[in-house]
Amino acid sequence: MHNQWAQFINTSVPGANATVVAPVGTTDAATGVTTPGIGDSWITVAADEIHAVCKALKQGEHEFTTLQAISGVDYLAEGQIELCYILASMNKNTELILKTRVPRGDGVKLSKLPSVVSVWSAANFLERECFDMFGVSFLGHPNLKRVLCPDDWTGYPLRKDYVVQEKYLDMVINPPSKMNIQEREFGARHAHIAGATTSVENYSVPAPAKEQ
Amino acid sequence: MLEIHKKEEKLKSELLTVSMGPQHPATHGVLRVEIKTDSEIVTEAIPHIGYLHRCMEKHAENLDYRAVIPFTDRLDYLAAMNMELTYVLAVEKMLKTEVPIRAEYIRVIVSELQRIASHLMFFGTYAIDLGAFSPFLYVFQDREFILRIFEELSGARLLYNYIWIGGVWNDITDDQIKRIGTFCDTLDESLKKYHTLVGENKIFISRTADVGVINKEMALDFGATGPVLRGAGVKWDLRKNRPYSIYSKLNFDVPVGMGEKGSVGDCWDRYIVRVREMHESIKIVRQCLAGIEAGPIMGKVPKIIKVPKGEIYMRTECARGELGYHLVSDGGKKPYRLKVKSSCFTHVSMLPAVGPGLMIADLVATIGSIDIVLGEIDR
Repeated sequence: MHNQWAQFINTSVPGANATVVAPVGTTDAATGVTTPGIGDSWITVAADEIHAVCKALKQGEHEFTTLQAISGVDYLAEGQIELCYILASMNKNTELILKTRVPRGDGVKLSKLPSVVSVWSAANFLERECFDMFGVSFLGHPNLKRVLCPDDWTGYPLRKDYVVQEKYLDMVINPPSKMNIQEREFGARHAHIAGATTSVENYSVPAPAKEQ
Repeated sequence: MLEIHKKEEKLKSELLTVSMGPQHPATHGVLRVEIKTDSEIVTEAIPHIGYLHRCMEKHAENLDYRAVIPFTDRLDYLAAMNMELTYVLAVEKMLKTEVPIRAEYIRVIVSELQRIASHLMFFGTYAIDLGAFSPFLYVFQDREFILRIFEELSGARLLYNYIWIGGVWNDITDDQIKRIGTFCDTLDESLKKYHTLVGENKIFISRTADVGVINKEMALDFGATGPVLRGAGVKWDLRKNRPYSIYSKLNFDVPVGMGEKGSVGDCWDRYIVRVREMHESIKIVRQCLAGIEAGPIMGKVPKIIKVPKGEIYMRTECARGELGYHLVSDGGKKPYRLKVKSSCFTHVSMLPAVGPGLMIADLVATIGSIDIVLGEIDR
């Protein structure tokens, strides 16, 4: 199915460079039995052509009439942000994850890619959310403003290297008195054990040293 | 020309901006709608959301797979079981866990009861939005039974943490099964009574028929799902079209809006779709109560859950529409990314398109009929 779609994208949008990525299976070296990979397959396309690709998929024979979600994933090590457009077709009962990557930048100068609002109106809020959470700019969006965070918020929360700002409008964010009390008490109870990591989530006590 | 006429010519009229919410009972939470009105007619409706934003998706990246379940409860707090079920199904599909058949039945029973509870809540609050107070009190009696059963099962009335990866937390007893059975019979009767009281009421019909019409093209364009889509006349239900869990074994219909009182996709259609869905849910629960088998309720799950590298998009039909989780795993103990696709988020983005041309009171009726929960919108 994915191969058909990729072929369709490549014929209708020449520069899209659509490739199918299937989950990687593992082969047992001893027995030679291959277990197939787990999860969904997806199609990657070039970021500049995303508008043309979406338009072709919507109007073409495969009838991807609805845009379900736009999900961003920040790959810090690779320096890229991946945008997953999740499309669905009700007539054909199919769904497709369409992916594209843009450089993540430094969080000040934002990467740009074409907006798909003119294809689906659903993209309006979804792209605004993506801009709000990941700092990706969409060219041709009618009203690209933050949607969940306040307009004057700094930083993009779902980036992996995000640090919460200390003050917002003279209000202290995360004051110590309001931090997780349970965790602090847990830490205090175990602070006397030398070398113990004092957090609920990652608690470990070092093994006692052997007597000589 | 008289002096007074000259004065009138100089008078100019301008649009009045009214802020509806965030503390407004008709917005069902902390939604703020900025409306520009020309006397009583709305010319522009701009939703402002985010008042309940706590970035649940970021929290999920810092918790192990089991610890995310309570956070999913708090998305749609009126249909918490459905939220849990979707997340758990996504993780199980990645882990290839086999869930015991008894657990599957219990899951379907609780999620359908939850759908009824959520729709009852809609029924009551929608009547209040339109000025009828007593239906609210009636439906809360029935909702109370469902919450009691959930309390017995999970220990909590609203946020359950009941459906776990691999099965469910607690077994259902024969006594509870019997009581749910009798409840289904009484609810079937009382729903018909409530519907004649509210749905067939002349005032209710004139307030909802032909109001806030969302037609098929608009619903598809905005990606609407659930009762809003079905109200627009599209026969699409994931339980039927892409069955998950044991829904393929069960028999039920998918009600759609037919424009009985006005045009297809008006508020009355969305109302009647939900009422009929409750009857269908009762049908499903009855089949599950008859078909439930004895057996274990928890499958084999590793003590420390490590989801293999890969990603998945899992969607199910919740009370308010399709809920989707896009789960990306890097092979570790925590999700690398968990995106929540919320149906209410897309529905609220339709307001700028539906709002213009409505009276202010009709905008209240429209917002009530798309049935939003802000916990799911703001995440």
